[in-house]
Formats: sequence, structure tokens, C-alpha cells
Amino acid sequence: MFCIRKLTTFISLILLILFISLLANCGKSTGIKPSRKVVIRFWNGFTGPDGRTILRLVKRFNRENPDVQVLMQRMDWGVYYNKLFVAGLGGRAPEVFIVHASSMERFIQAQVARPVDDLVRGANGIQESDFAENIWQAVEKDGRHYALPLDVHPIGMYYNKKLFREAGIVDEKGNPKPPTNREEFLDALTKITKDIDGDGKNDQWGYVFTWYRTNMYTFLLQWGGRIFTPDYQKCVLDSAENVEAVRFFTDLIHKKKVIPPPENFDSWIGFRQGKVGIAFEGIYMLEDLKRQKDLDYGAAPLPLLGKVPAAWADSHTICFKKDLSGEHLDAAWRFAKYLSDNSLDWADGGQIPARKSLMESERFKGMTAQWEFAKMIPYIRYIPRVPFALEFLGEFDTAAERGLRGNVSAETALSEAAANVNKIIKRQNEEQKRSKP
Amino acid sequence: MKKIRLRLIQFFLLAAAVVFLTPIALIFLTSLKPDSEIIHFSGIFPRQWTLDNFREIFDTPEEIPIFRWLLNSVFISSAVTFLILLVNSMAAYALARLELPGRRGLFVVIIATLMIPGQILMIPVYLIINKLGLLNTPWALIIPAGAGAFGVFLLHQFFLGIPRNLEDAAIVDGCSIFGVYRHIVLPLSKPALSTLGIFTFLGSWNDFLSPLIFLDSVDKFTLPVGVALFQTSYAAEYGLTLAACVVCTAPALLAFVFFQRHIIKGIALTGLKE
Amino acid sequence: MTRARYSNIFYGYLFLLPYLVLFCAFILLPLIYGLGLSLFQWEVLSNAPPRFIGLGNYREALGETYFWMALGATLRFVAMIVPSVVCGALLIALALNALPEKSGGFFKAAIFAPTIISISVAGILWRWFFSAEFGLFNAWLAPLGVKVPWITENRWAMKSVVLMTVWWTLGGPMVVLLAGLKQIPEQYYEAASIDGAGAIRRFFHITLPLLKPVLLFVIVMNIIGSFQVFGQTFMITRGGPELSTRVLVQYIYETAFASYRLGYGSAMSWLLFIVIAVFSILQFRLVRERE
Repeated sequence: MFCIRKLTTFISLILLILFISLLANCGKSTGIKPSRKVVIRFWNGFTGPDGRTILRLVKRFNRENPDVQVLMQRMDWGVYYNKLFVAGLGGRAPEVFIVHASSMERFIQAQVARPVDDLVRGANGIQESDFAENIWQAVEKDGRHYALPLDVHPIGMYYNKKLFREAGIVDEKGNPKPPTNREEFLDALTKITKDIDGDGKNDQWGYVFTWYRTNMYTFLLQWGGRIFTPDYQKCVLDSAENVEAVRFFTDLIHKKKVIPPPENFDSWIGFRQGKVGIAFEGIYMLEDLKRQKDLDYGAAPLPLLGKVPAAWADSHTICFKKDLSGEHLDAAWRFAKYLSDNSLDWADGGQIPARKSLMESERFKGMTAQWEFAKMIPYIRYIPRVPFALEFLGEFDTAAERGLRGNVSAETALSEAAANVNKIIKRQNEEQKRSKP
Repeated sequence: MKKIRLRLIQFFLLAAAVVFLTPIALIFLTSLKPDSEIIHFSGIFPRQWTLDNFREIFDTPEEIPIFRWLLNSVFISSAVTFLILLVNSMAAYALARLELPGRRGLFVVIIATLMIPGQILMIPVYLIINKLGLLNTPWALIIPAGAGAFGVFLLHQFFLGIPRNLEDAAIVDGCSIFGVYRHIVLPLSKPALSTLGIFTFLGSWNDFLSPLIFLDSVDKFTLPVGVALFQTSYAAEYGLTLAACVVCTAPALLAFVFFQRHIIKGIALTGLKE
Repeated sequence: MTRARYSNIFYGYLFLLPYLVLFCAFILLPLIYGLGLSLFQWEVLSNAPPRFIGLGNYREALGETYFWMALGATLRFVAMIVPSVVCGALLIALALNALPEKSGGFFKAAIFAPTIISISVAGILWRWFFSAEFGLFNAWLAPLGVKVPWITENRWAMKSVVLMTVWWTLGGPMVVLLAGLKQIPEQYYEAASIDGAGAIRRFFHITLPLLKPVLLFVIVMNIIGSFQVFGQTFMITRGGPELSTRVLVQYIYETAFASYRLGYGSAMSWLLFIVIAVFSILQFRLVRERE
């Protein structure tokens, strides 16, 4: 039978939870403080260790600038972009937000982001020459720059020093010698991949595929391939060079079996557990590696496996809401410049600052992994900046996955993706024609 | 023979119960493990019991506004429950007891919508909510919920079972419709109302798709969405994530422990009154 | 009609009004709006205004591989989950029914418990279980030298999602079926055993026929619910590997809220609705024929 007492107890418990959470909320400041501060909303997708680093910077800025209150909001990148774009369309974009350089196009086209040239060249500005050319160009369109690059994060090579020593891949002084070209790479694969526990299956690997997207993009470029024609009107993902690049790896995975079947991010755990010799991953994985105290890892630029030096990279860039003005614009720019000036603190968490002056500093040289990865900056390549970036990346990821896993041939995977992307391009063009009266 | 058969059945059910309960227990147990133990699995029970995961969640509200999410969930679920109990019971009473012309047709239409999957409404409702300017507010989750047909259905069947003479007596005594509703029908329906209430509360508490679609700001999230977006793509911080899961699950589990009989009875009712 | 009756009707409808307003605003209106939307081309990304294209979206969907893949994934899910859950629930309900009166409350609650867990929590939990490298299941299987590609192989991924869903949703149908079983009067069974019928014959000739209405209800509701699957695949596999578990609702969600193709998304929603309606009607017809 129904018991009033139980209901009362339950409701009281719920009220108790409510009360505690109200108290806890009052104790910490997550709401807007009623004061004469200029409030700057700052959205980004930094989660995990990245999130902690940026939060420290935000808190420091708030302390050092008592007339400004920066309120940070962050969520998972995938959902972040959807929410950000919708908010932007509805005029509710935050004052400052982070956008990857590769994803900027739709924000520029929808006129959600404000050009920054006047701020950069203004009184409290930054020397444009202080940005590496390819990084500064990544945020440029039609002569104007739409964001302030905060960092650049390429993928590079992490290698397990212990496994290299055991395999005898060392230099004269006995230090592990990471590969620099295809021969050395294949050599390392054969020497390190082995069956440790004698069950007939390899459990130690020379190299594992981690994030398909970054690895595959790098290899396609290294083999001399392209994704789009220079005018972005046609997707040429299925070009001969690209197919060759994918085939090189499917051979190693499925025929020679010196690379395990790819498992996307999960394979990274294998490297952390010390079972893998080489992984190509972003500098942003550094924090993760540091937590693995029993791993003796090294960092180095990617080997040249193809003909053309190339490395996938992206940049977090700081964007401003379109119609920002007055004291909000001033505060927002001060905050952005603060982040940029202090990007060595940001780099500490596993990034490379976008500014040459900071890259040449002693402090940066002391960050070994970042320093090694920064050597690749002259030949880093961003993913093509197209307005339908999300859909394109979806196709790209699927093609990379299908091609590598080998259920279909490399040609099939790449040509089907290319066909789909061409359909998207065609639709986009038709719609663009309609939106211009 | 019968004894053996009974024992076998009990053993089978016990095994099933263990299988079904273990994952839930694992949420709690694993949240008390340090990350290193989770990556290198070392057994169901923690070797090193630690509250670090919980400490980290509660200590960093700017990163993980878990209390904010808890507050939002409590507020939204309570509001939805109240709205449904009020509005649905009124509608159910009107359709069951008041001889309104066209009530049968209306009832059939309402019940028919039970068959409509919520997802086909999500795009238009999103646009409507946007037009109303309610996007990213808790009201986007509360108001549309009141249109649910399930409550009307459940209460309608229940009201049909209330003896008419009680109502007739009240009307003879000069009670208005509202009076009858308030003084006779509602008190007699406590079991059904409480069941519906608990049901609705749980359903709203656990809802994932609607908050995912309608809420933009992290501080407006409800627990399930906050916890879900917690899963970072780059690093596997499972200890932290599971601790957040504990916070999300504990109130629901609490409600279950208190009211499982009613919840279960309520679900059973849905099948039988067809 | 008397004046009193007129006023009764007036107040009666007034009582109904709050609900009707909400119902019309958030169920009827969206239904019609959605149907209308599906006839337009509306790509928010391109700043172009919505354009009437009649059945264009429907034609595009029916001709698009991704739509059929997504529908296929959903159908595979439904085909696997409905028999599993219904049979599993029936089995457990029968076992519970065989227990003496008043006992078995613990078992019932334990098996029902997973349904009160939020999908996002359940999804996170099982994602960890299924992880190939450091997941719980593979850790348990490691001593046997087995490493199952739960969610990394196409052949396994959907089955893993089904496994998780059985755990998560068995409780509901179980409880309904048990209530249905309890409604069957003891005398029928007693009479049958006196006549010499064994347990199996009793099941097929008494239990099943008398349980049919409830069983049908459970199956139909399960089918309708399963077609709407989204949370599980979103949390556990995100539609992978290779889009093999990207169910239709996830595809609609991505089309509408990531690609911002609202007209196209609405059309696909209606196609899903039609598929569900067809299945439900077929189910009802089948039963009606048998009777």
C-alpha cells in the first residue's frame, strides 16, 4: 500500500540535495557577480588537461585585471561547434571563443567572427611578423584575418626509448635513434614488433595507428597527394598518390602484419602501457604521457615516409563576436592578448605557441617535446578550410577508417568518399547561388 | 521433485540478479579506484580505495559544475512532475468523467500519439522553442513535457475505476467540478498519482536527448548531458567520469530503493489496461 | 440540454484546456510543421531562404546510401533486440511466476534496476566494458587469451549494443509479462495437470494463448521503442565502426543539428515514422487474423 512516510522521506532527501547544491553553488563563484565589471564570456572545447591549463590562465587574468570578469564555458569539441554555431546564428555568440583554424570557414561565411586586423595593428597590438607565415595565413580570408592564433599543434613522433634500446636501434652514444625516413621506419617496425608471451600473436608493436584523421592526412600529403583541387571545386581524395599511401599501410597491417589492426584512439593506450615503439600523435597528448610515470618516452619530428615533408597540424585561434565594441571589445582584446603573450604557459600543457619570439625563448627550448615538434613548423599543413568542414571531415574519417581496416579496397573507400564530398560541394554551390539575389 | 525445481529456479533468478546488478555496483566501485588501476585492470574491488575522483569533481566547479547540474536536474524534474500531475490529471478527469461531447474521439487522438516517436518531433519543436525565445532555458524542457499522453492515459483508466456514487454524492451536496476533482478524485487517486509522479520524475531525470538539443550553456545542463559530454575524446579519465556517473545515478537509485514497488506496479498497469 | 449541462460542458472543456493547449502546441503543431518542413529545402549553413521542393527531400533520402545504411542499422537493431528482450523477459517472468506467493521481490527489483539508470551513465559504463584495450570484459577474458573486438569490428558492434540494451531494458517487459501471467487463474493449470498435461503443454496451450494480449502489447511497444534507438549507439560507438551502427535517429540528429539541413532531416523523420507505423499495423493485423 502506498506509504506517505516514504514519500515524505524521499521528498525531504531531494530537498536536502537541493539545499546542499544551492549552498555549494553559493560558495563557489559560477554565477555573474553583480558589480561594475565588464563580463566577457569565453567559450571553448578544452576538456581534460587542456581545460585545466586554460582555466589557470583565465583565473590569473581575472586576478590581474579586476575590472574584467572572464567567464569560461567548455564542452566536448563535437557538440561545442554545433552549439557555438547555432548561438552565433541567433546572435547569442559569446564575446570570445576558440575555433580551430580548420573549422573557421563556416564562422567567417556566416559572419559570426570579427576581423582582427585593426586590433593587431592597433596601439596594444602584436607584430604580425611574430607569427609564422603559414600560421598567420591559416586565419586569413580575402586579405583580412579573422582570429588571433593562440598555438599550433602538429602531430609528431613519440617513441618508447626502452623498446628502441632493447631492439638495438641506438646511435654511437647508446641513445635511442628514432627513424627519420622510410627505411629506418620499416627497420624499427621489424625489429620492435614481436611476440612476447609466445602465444603466436604479436603483442609488442613497432608502430600503431592512433587517430586516423591526423595520421592519414599526413601520409596522403607526404605521398604528394591532395584532397581538393586548388579552387576547392572538386574533391580528389581518390587520386593515385592517395591510394598508394593508403595501400602502403594496409600492406603493413594486413599482409606483413607488422602494424596491428587500427583502433583509433584506443590504440594510444597501448603506447602508454609500454607495448608500442612509435606513435604519431599530437603534442597535446603530452600531458597524458606525463601521467604515465613508468614510461620512458622521447619526442621527435615525424620521419619522412613519402616524398614530401608534411605533418598535419591545427591551431586553436581566438575569435571575437562580430559586433563587439566599446569596453567589451577593449576587455576582450586585452584578454586575448594576455592569452597570446602568456602562451608559453599554455604551451607547457602540451602546445606550441604561435609566436616566433616565444618559440625562440630559452623557456621554450627547455620544453623538449614541444621544441622537437616545433621543428616541423616550416612544413606543417592544415586541413583544407571549407565551410562544410564537419561533413567533409566525416567523409574523410570514414574513408580513412574503411581504407585502413581493409574491408574494402583503398580505391573504393577513397572514391566513395570523394563522390560524396563532390555531392556536398555541388549542393553548396547551388545554395550559394540562391542566397545571392 | 518440486523442491529441486524450485531451487533450480531460485538459483537461475539469483544468477540473473547478480548479472543485472553487477554493472551498477561497478559504477560505484570503480569510481573509488585511482586511474592507474582502471587502465591496468586489477579486479572488481579497488586495491587502493580513494575518494580522489570525487574530490576532484566537487572541488572544481568552474570545470565541472556538478552541483549546478544537480540543481538543474532537480528543478527541471520536479517542475515537469508537477506540471504533468496537474495538467494530465485535469485532462484525464475531464475525459473520463465529464460527459463532454467528442470526448471519445479526443481520447483516441491523444492515445494515438503515444505511438509517435519523440524524435520525429524534435526538429519542429526545436524551431518552435527557438521562436518562443526559450532555447537554452529550463522551460524548453519543462513546458513541452506537459503534452505527454502517457499520464493522461494512465490516469484516465484509473479514474474510470472510481465509484461514481462518491462523485454523485458530492455533486448533490453542491460541489463544483473543481471541488469534486479536488476533494474526491484526487485523494482517491493517490496511488496512481504517486506512481505517475515517480515515473515522470525518473523519466525526466534520465532524459538525454532533449537537454542535448535544447541546452547550449554548460551551466544550464542537466546531469545526464553534463556527464555524457564529460567523456573527453583525448584522454580516458574514467575514474572521474564514473564518479560523475555516481552523482547522476545516486538520486535515481535512491528513488528506486524507496519506491520500487510503485514503479514496478505502474509499469505493470500500462500493460494490463490495454 | 439543460442550462446546467451546458455550463458543465463549458467548465469541462476549461478543465481540458491547459492540456489541450500544450498538446496542440507541442504535439499536433510540430507534427504538421514537421510534415511541412519536409517539403522544403532549408540549409541553414548557406543563408539561403527555405525553398519549396515538394517530395524532393524524400526522393533524395530514398536514393541516398547513407539513409539506407542508417535504416539498415536500425532494422538490424530491432530484429535482434525485440526477440532477445521479449524472450528473455518472458523466461524470467515465468521463473518469477513459479515462485511461491510474495517471494521474489528482490529478484524482480534487481533485474528491473538497470532501467532506472540514465542512458548516458549506462552508455559510459558499457563503453568502458567494451573497450578493446582496457575494457572490463577483455580484462576478464585476458587469462583465456581472448580479446574480443566488441565495438571495433563491424560484425560485433551492433551485437554489443544489443547486449547492453538487453541489460538496460529487460526489466520493463519482464514486469508487464509477470503481471499478465499473474492474471491467469490457477484453476486452468490445475485442471490441465489433472488432465495429464505436462509443463510444456500447459505453457503452449494455456499460458501463451491467455498471455497473448499482454505479449502483443509488449512486442509492439518494444518494436516502436527500438526503432527510436539513439542514446546507446551515440554513447557507445558514436555510429562506428565505419558507420555500421549509425542508426537512423542519429543520422537525423546529425543532419539537423550538425549539418543544419532542416528540411532533409524532417523528411527522414517522417520516413522513420512511416516505417514504424507500417510495422505496428502489420503486427496488429497479424494478431487479428489469428483470432
